[in-house]
Amino acid sequence: MNKDELKEKILKLSQGTMTPSESGVFDLMFDVKPSDLMKVALMLRDHENLKFDFLNNISGVDTGERFEVVYSLSSITFSLRLDFKVALPYDQAVIESTKEVWPAAEWHEREIWELFGIDIANHGDLNRFLLPDDWDQGYPMRKDWDAPDFIRMPQL
Amino acid sequence: MGLIKKVPVYAEQIPGGGIVATQLESILSHSQACSMWYLLFATACCAIELMCTGASRYDFDRLGMIFRPTPRQADLIIAAGTITKKMAPRLRRLYDQMAEPRYVIAMGGCTIKGGPFYYDSYAVEKGIDHIVPVDIYIPGCPPRPESLLEGCLHLQKKIKSQKLADWHEK
Amino acid sequence: MAKLRTEEFLVNMGPHHPSTHGVCRLVLTMDGEKVVHIEPVIGYLHRAIEKICENRTYPQCSPMMDRFEYVTAMASDHVYALAVEKLAGLEVPERAEYLRVIMVELNRIASHLIFWGVTAMDVGAYTPFLYGLREREDIIDLFEMTCGQRLTYNYIRIGGVSQDIPDEFVPKCREFMDKLWGKFADYEGLLNENPIWLVRTKGIGVLTAEKAIAFGASGPVLRASGVDYDVRRDDPYSIYDKFNFEIPTQKNGDSYDRFIQRIDEMKASLRIIEQALDNLPEGDIKCKVKPKFKPPAGEVYSRIESARGEMGVYIRSDGSTKPVRVKLRGSSYNHLRLVPEIATDVLIADLVTIFATLDIIMPEVDR
Repeated sequence: MNKDELKEKILKLSQGTMTPSESGVFDLMFDVKPSDLMKVALMLRDHENLKFDFLNNISGVDTGERFEVVYSLSSITFSLRLDFKVALPYDQAVIESTKEVWPAAEWHEREIWELFGIDIANHGDLNRFLLPDDWDQGYPMRKDWDAPDFIRMPQL
Repeated sequence: MGLIKKVPVYAEQIPGGGIVATQLESILSHSQACSMWYLLFATACCAIELMCTGASRYDFDRLGMIFRPTPRQADLIIAAGTITKKMAPRLRRLYDQMAEPRYVIAMGGCTIKGGPFYYDSYAVEKGIDHIVPVDIYIPGCPPRPESLLEGCLHLQKKIKSQKLADWHEK
Repeated sequence: MAKLRTEEFLVNMGPHHPSTHGVCRLVLTMDGEKVVHIEPVIGYLHRAIEKICENRTYPQCSPMMDRFEYVTAMASDHVYALAVEKLAGLEVPERAEYLRVIMVELNRIASHLIFWGVTAMDVGAYTPFLYGLREREDIIDLFEMTCGQRLTYNYIRIGGVSQDIPDEFVPKCREFMDKLWGKFADYEGLLNENPIWLVRTKGIGVLTAEKAIAFGASGPVLRASGVDYDVRRDDPYSIYDKFNFEIPTQKNGDSYDRFIQRIDEMKASLRIIEQALDNLPEGDIKCKVKPKFKPPAGEVYSRIESARGEMGVYIRSDGSTKPVRVKLRGSSYNHLRLVPEIATDVLIADLVTIFATLDIIMPEVDR
């Protein structure tokens, strides 16, 4: 099925939990609320016409106003592609772990926790990953992070 | 090696004994320079060029250099690749485990001053010369195998010009 | 007589180890010679490429992509250029697309030659390393003739490629391909039927298809477990829909299959290059890109089939000259997560074989 048919099918099956977003330039992009995340994930993976069983990527984004967590999925059986994102305000940056749905999510979520500071509920294994063991300088990928030995490239 | 260091001290006291020390120096430094065994320490992109230099076309073995996997059997570290803050203590530990006389070649821009990762990176150690004492710097990103071979030839020249009294703790 | 008491102990396969393909640390809990539990500790090559890209303009990020996956640097450049072109809606001229395909497929062969040599060296056979790197030097000569660099090319740029190929490229490429076709008999005769090799790799580290899909394995690892999925055919990008090529798969998913899979893929790549060289059109090599390049606001996730698996780039733009977020996804990240799943209850020598056949390199994991 092509992109428009897929979009209609998703809108029908999701019953309002997934709203289309205009920011996706090439593939389909939807907005999902944090409380609906597990329902959406299970529906996408298990429905017999969708079967999105392959998790490509989870990225954390700090837009300057809020956090966003972007999930990229694909279906091996039907050769489909889709993205959706969850918006989180700065003061309530908690998201539920999807590692029961897609085991590949475990390390992606651990990295988001370590570099952005977004808390992951029900993960069970959140500890030091990419940064040195004695790192105490905060969450480096946030836009407002700074440190004494962080040298920025001068703007010409 | 401790006994050999005492030879110049005693040899100079005998008239004409300086010749003994000089000949001994040249034999020892020549044999050391022509048989440097390097530790296989490779982190990032320069590792592939190091591998290529050790392979068929540009051969390291003709200079007498073969790779050893353990620092106890090596007398040269070619630090190839970016050293991050997490990896820096391990590099120092490997250097400490080597037996003297030992030498360090800093290969590639990242080990000289951070390379392309100097600006805007929070986890890269900008150069290795505050971790281990470096003898030869080879610039490039990554340096060609010919550059690496020339660096090793410079190191050989440096070793051959060393005096016995210079083999002190670094 | 009292029964002997045994205890489990920790062995650290440290960041510096001749067979961990970079700096990866595995903390092993061992019961005698068997490995009971593995915990990978990573981050020893975390250079913060993503943070660097947030403070560079879009064309300035291009050289950083070479350092992300340097063994197949053409593919890393390609995926970034694809993502930015999708964002900005640029159309790449046809000659540039053909040149991109030729370079990426040559790079795939070079990477598989390194894999073949280094895997054999890890398991204990030293000769294939010298043979593989000898053929790779011919490919590197072709690249050097075109763009001047041996490893970090920065050749595939936003909007096309940076330079046109010289006149002696096509004859030399055909000569190399003929030579390589003749060498496959040698390579397969070296190891494929060798009884020691079969004992070391058959049945070791079996990966089932469901586990591979669930953990996000891709590329040769996925196809060696029997799943017929290739991004070039199932989600075509660039001009791959114009070539016909077969996608080899294997049945068992053990280390031997992963090893054979990549040799078969080298042959498929040679056929693609032949078709591309036969149909290479004339024309421009890049389209017009403004000096102050500002794509419209939006986000895109673009992926390609690189030598190790699926490589992806997620870019978020807000309409200015610098990206808001660049997230790089390497296939080795998911493959390293597989190691604790398939390498328990094996001997430590088998762990080395499994690690080598998954073809993990650390810059894709740590970035």
